[in-house]
Amino acid sequence: MGLFSYLKSTILSKIVMAGTGVILVLFVFGHMVGNLQILIGREVFNTYAHFLQSLGELLWLVRIFLFICLILHIITAIRLYFLNKSTKPAKYQVKAYVRSTLSSRTMIYGGIAIFLFLVYHLLHFTAGVADSSIYGHVERYGPLGIFERQDAYYMVIAGFRSVPVSLIYIVGVIFLAMHLNHSVQSMFQTLSIAGPRLTPVIVRFSRIFAFIVATGYILMPLTIMLGIVGGGL
Amino acid sequence: MKLTLHIWRQKDANDKGILETHIADDVSEDMSFLEMLDVLNEDLILQDKEPVTFDHDCREGICGTCSLTINGRPHGHEKATTTCQLHMRKFTDGEEIFIEPFRAKAFPVIKDLVVDRSPFERIMQAGGFISIHTGAAQDANALPISKINAELAMDAAACIGCGACVAACPNGAAMLFVSAKVSQFALLPQGQPERQKRALAMVNKMDAEGFGACTNHYECEASCPKEVSVRFIAKLNREFLGASLFEH
Ligand code: HEM
Ligand code: FES
Repeated sequence: MGLFSYLKSTILSKIVMAGTGVILVLFVFGHMVGNLQILIGREVFNTYAHFLQSLGELLWLVRIFLFICLILHIITAIRLYFLNKSTKPAKYQVKAYVRSTLSSRTMIYGGIAIFLFLVYHLLHFTAGVADSSIYGHVERYGPLGIFERQDAYYMVIAGFRSVPVSLIYIVGVIFLAMHLNHSVQSMFQTLSIAGPRLTPVIVRFSRIFAFIVATGYILMPLTIMLGIVGGGL
Repeated sequence: MKLTLHIWRQKDANDKGILETHIADDVSEDMSFLEMLDVLNEDLILQDKEPVTFDHDCREGICGTCSLTINGRPHGHEKATTTCQLHMRKFTDGEEIFIEPFRAKAFPVIKDLVVDRSPFERIMQAGGFISIHTGAAQDANALPISKINAELAMDAAACIGCGACVAACPNGAAMLFVSAKVSQFALLPQGQPERQKRALAMVNKMDAEGFGACTNHYECEASCPKEVSVRFIAKLNREFLGASLFEH
């Protein structure tokens, strides 16, 4: 039994999609809540960023774990995409959809858009490659400024000051929200958490969750781009 | 009623197939969809043309033999209705109707609107049965079954195996069918001894027959003439995962 032999089974593939989906969804939510602290101010945000950096090896363990989940998610998505494409060689001349949604029918395209956005995002903020001018600034803090730490606040504010950069983020987040709109409820169904009374609640939750994620993540680039947050830097 | 029918014509599995247009100008509202096609076929025969081939048997909505994708929907737009129980009064005079076969790689077209649904039989042969001898019917109360399970098992057993779920699914998945069959046994005491073996065998057969994977579009439930619920697919996932982990 090789590591990827689950790919031969439709249901096991679905379960891997959903299982990795749970991790990614939890991360997306946690990442949003943490980052929203930028709306409070430099002190709070840099303390948070500094705390994450101080985790050291633990931070890397979490990153590696998330990376593995993402890779499994993508490999499985691609395999399912090709399988599901192959099952309908002859197309309907007329096809009426009833229950499926734009979100549900565009998962793979949305997923690819999210992936491209993710690469950009990591180059931009995590590696500081996309725009090195915003990277590597230092904040002095504590009594008389005797301590030094990475000025993550400066990085984000200066990054989102650029209108094109902010727009890329906003578009990326809209794709993510569309993905979540279908996938959160789909994940519950796949993991067998479903029922006549439960499922409608989960579907509504999925929609609200996607909306909250969209709002939370769009708030940051939007308010910074417009100078509402971090005006004086 | 006068109707313009665009009907899929295809000589055999290898033919490319094409939509052919026919005018049906004396359709009664009281005809079923299949009777309407019967009348069209009589006309075609009188004109020395090849009649349209389509599947049917009971014509009372219980056997699952009739098929047809009507205006893009398996069994047409009427909720919880098979094609044989769909009446022409549900259409409007002058309407254009597109009639196509149930499309899926696993259901190759045999001719015109008839497709080969024998993959479903083979999935049933893989595990859709009970091999213990259950004897003659015993006293109904001797085998206690909770009301909720009895009703769920009945809901699952309502599946007539027509294949509309596969035809409706953008992924060509057969999960609704397989989940109904696996669930109807898994919910009853008689199904317990072979429960895990059955889930593995039927799902593996389903995969081998070339059906797709569910991505929860729920088109199957919307098209099912017996309103089999997608909650059985959720149940199937659990049954299959449990069986994969513990049955070896
Ligand atoms: C942070 C990023 C992501 C999150 C939070 C996420 C989350 C999810 C979740 C929860 C599901 C539902 C699983 C299920 O139905 O059981 C899902 C499905 C899916 N994801 Fe993602 N995903 C992300 C990134 C991606 C990427 C980069 C791709 C692309 C290649 C992708 C492609 C898909 C596809 C095609 C599905 C549908 C599969 C199915 O429903 O069976 N996702 N995603
Ligand atoms: S012909 Fe039997 S169900 Fe329609």
